[in-house]
Amino acid sequence: MGAELAALFSLSSAFAVVALVFAGWMAWRIVDKAGLPGWAGLIAILLTLTGIGSLVSVILLWVFAYMRWPRDEGAVALVTGPGMPPGAPQRPSAPAALAPPPKALAGPRGWRLVGAGLTLAVDGSAPAYLLTGEAGGQPAELVVPDPSVGRPHARLLVAGDRLGLEDLGTPGGTLIDGARLLPEHGPRDITAARSIRLGSVELALSRV
Amino acid sequence: MVTFSWLLGWLIGLGTLVVLGILAAHFLVALVLIVPTWRICARAGFSGALSLLLLVPVIGGFVVMAILAFSDWPAGEARGPR
Repeated sequence: MGAELAALFSLSSAFAVVALVFAGWMAWRIVDKAGLPGWAGLIAILLTLTGIGSLVSVILLWVFAYMRWPRDEGAVALVTGPGMPPGAPQRPSAPAALAPPPKALAGPRGWRLVGAGLTLAVDGSAPAYLLTGEAGGQPAELVVPDPSVGRPHARLLVAGDRLGLEDLGTPGGTLIDGARLLPEHGPRDITAARSIRLGSVELALSRV
Repeated sequence: MVTFSWLLGWLIGLGTLVVLGILAAHFLVALVLIVPTWRICARAGFSGALSLLLLVPVIGGFVVMAILAFSDWPAGEARGPR
């Protein structure tokens, strides 16, 4: 009986050790992907070995969820496109940016993006506008000077009376009325949208 | 015989109560973990609903962690030396 119990105990311990190592490895990778040192995730997992440490791990999970990640501060353009600095990294999984419409069908009205002390006019004189955090010398750029906005961040596409938005895969992310727009979604019609979010900058969209 | 049935009834009732208590405790703990995990998943570019896997006992947390750890984040990852 004692031998069976000992075997069961050692088997459970072996599973626990494997789970702990695996969890530590995964935590390391997750934290590393966010731009933080991987050992921080490993320590958070190891803290669960103690009773009170479990509580600390939960607190760390909340802190990690709501803190500012170094990944978001980089605002590095990850997809090639107009305004892309040479030699910048390119994410392999990101699809190539779609070409803008060949010809702008300028309508009588334009759009206006207002927010964060900025007013950006989209008059429809160009087929596409590049939303970027820093001026890159491109002809149709709309500069949103904020660290969370990529360089470039997204592309506005004008087609007649319609306005489209395409995310270029920057870490800050793009949202349309609160819904996340991913690079693989391609251009989305935002003619009827009320607001877009570039990184942490909220811009209200209106017709003029 | 009556005593045995009475005892069995009590045991089943107590067992059910214990199981329900464990389930309730698990749900509460999962809720505390789901809220931050939902945000982490959303910031990584995944659906926040992925965090609901934490409701699955024992392996739910591992599955969520594995998805976050071993897949490319749609919202981008930190790259290069820091």
